[in-house]
Amino acid sequence: MLAILFSSITYAAILGIGCASITLLYASTRTFNFAHASMISWGFYIVFVLYKFFGYIPYLYVPIAALIAAAFGILIYYFVIRRLLDVGASEITLMMVTLGVDLILFAVLNMFVDILKRGFGIDATKINIVLTDPIVVRIWGTPIKYIHIISIVSAIVIVVVLHLFLTRTNLGIAMRASIENPTLASILGIDVNTVYLFSWFIGGLLAGLSGGLLVLFMEGTTTVGFDIVVFYFAGSIVGGLYSIYGGLLGGVLVGFSERFLTFLLSYWIPDIIAYRFAIPMVMLVATLLIYPKGLAGLVKRV
Amino acid sequence: MSLEYLAINFGIGAILALSLNIEVGFTGIPQFGRVMAALVGALAAGGLMSRIAAAIFGLPWGAEYAENSARYATVINSALAVNPLTAVALLLVTLILAIVLGAIVGYATAFPALRLREAYLGITLLSFGEILRSILYNYTPLIGGTKGLSIPDVFRFLHGFRSQSAIIFILFVVILMLAIAERINRSPLGRVMKAVRDSELAAEVYGKDIGNIRAYALIIGSAMASVAGALYALFTQTIYAYQFSRYEFTFLPWAYIMLGGVGNNIGVVLGTLLFSSARMIIVIYKYEISAVIPVDPVWLEYLLTGVVLVLVTKFRPKGLLPERPAFTLSRRAIESISRKAGSSG
Repeated sequence: MLAILFSSITYAAILGIGCASITLLYASTRTFNFAHASMISWGFYIVFVLYKFFGYIPYLYVPIAALIAAAFGILIYYFVIRRLLDVGASEITLMMVTLGVDLILFAVLNMFVDILKRGFGIDATKINIVLTDPIVVRIWGTPIKYIHIISIVSAIVIVVVLHLFLTRTNLGIAMRASIENPTLASILGIDVNTVYLFSWFIGGLLAGLSGGLLVLFMEGTTTVGFDIVVFYFAGSIVGGLYSIYGGLLGGVLVGFSERFLTFLLSYWIPDIIAYRFAIPMVMLVATLLIYPKGLAGLVKRV
Repeated sequence: MSLEYLAINFGIGAILALSLNIEVGFTGIPQFGRVMAALVGALAAGGLMSRIAAAIFGLPWGAEYAENSARYATVINSALAVNPLTAVALLLVTLILAIVLGAIVGYATAFPALRLREAYLGITLLSFGEILRSILYNYTPLIGGTKGLSIPDVFRFLHGFRSQSAIIFILFVVILMLAIAERINRSPLGRVMKAVRDSELAAEVYGKDIGNIRAYALIIGSAMASVAGALYALFTQTIYAYQFSRYEFTFLPWAYIMLGGVGNNIGVVLGTLLFSSARMIIVIYKYEISAVIPVDPVWLEYLLTGVVLVLVTKFRPKGLLPERPAFTLSRRAIESISRKAGSSG
């Protein structure tokens, strides 16, 4: 019971970090980032590969994974999104172009895995390094691993740092201004392009972080991002897509309900475990139909 | 063999792309859940038609059918091989069921489409597709869940020419669908759809019920996509929920219409043809490719789709054949009317 609770909270925190990324990108550049799926997979694999090559502890490589994903974010913005925003492309066009980027990143990751297999003899088609994560402490016999602590701490740190960044620094205030009203912001001398570039940087960073932490939580193949990205989408929509905190909260709620709610419900409906994946989706649809503005309506707008 | 691969990919892809074009190209609904309607169509073939066939030939048709579908399908197939009339009737029943079920699903998705727009709607539709897929994957009695289900072969009575005639039938359906889509394009309904897409407010000012128009688009589009799913299931003679992936049944048709030209039916079919040909070339030269570069050629297909999507949106956002204004009458008829008007005035 306690073990399920801990793993649910961990999963929820990891999901929340990714949802914050989607929400930030949508709020700032109107782009619903389909490339999120491959960014998650990349984060997932970078941590694994670096760990395989250099050893030590996997957590050292999580920041590297986050930075590489952030570099992807910058490249995506610089080469694709910037021009489309300039010509005032529709939201659908922006979604489709990130889908294209997603497929490219996915293909390149798979090629990378193939080369790894043939060139270095590392079979990375299905990876699992969950067991390398040591147990920190036991509470009433329930093991607590580093991932449980680190993912929750990072989610909290992200909230605090983002809050300080958005309210105390010039760039953060400029970012909020550009999200609220890009035209007015550029009249006041804010370079909207830099702000957008920076939000893609943070968006990539959070996506990579989420993927990098995920590798210590579950096993997966190259399609891990593609498989669970729907939950990230669900979380960010439940969160309302215009407040980063809302996104984080939505992700936490979706992740927690997928794991813990299913567990509780399985006392009454034993078959429900198989339909676990449907629960966040049903939640998403229910939220949209009952309260289309999402959870962000409950949180102060940032 | 590879031509067969091209034809089946093109046929199914073209129907899906045409259906997507009605929703996306004409009406502006971000349909990211195309796989749902296709899956419902396959369900009409696998879940319903196979049971009807089993009932006709006196076999168990409840949950027992799903458990031993391969064995029962073989029995039904040998009966259908000498019974062309029943086979054709079953084919027609499948298509009618697919259209009806697809239309119902389209109507159901019209409810969120009433309230939501753009990204929100797109993700909701995508989730609908994922919900249905994950339920069918886990729920065994209907289509066998993880095992999948064998479907009786309605083309079996043609013996040696089974695949060829199935493909000819599918291509015939493509032409029919193209005709329907083109007819909608030129009809008052098509014009209202485009008005809704371009400016909802303006369409509303002219007294058009936007909710109804969006619902029509979803119903027609879903029914068409459902036929594609049914034909695919009939052709492969199996249904397996994971076969109906988000990539193959939603994202690829999107790539087809983006390449061909959103809103242009001919362009959409052209885009599908180009894409399917590229996929076939990758499949044909699979071994040659993997001899040169040390990767599985299947990733090249993903890479190609991705690159095409990015390049098309960046450099040719209207596609290869951009949308053109649709004339309700033929050019000659319009010219003769204008001549008459000129001579009388």
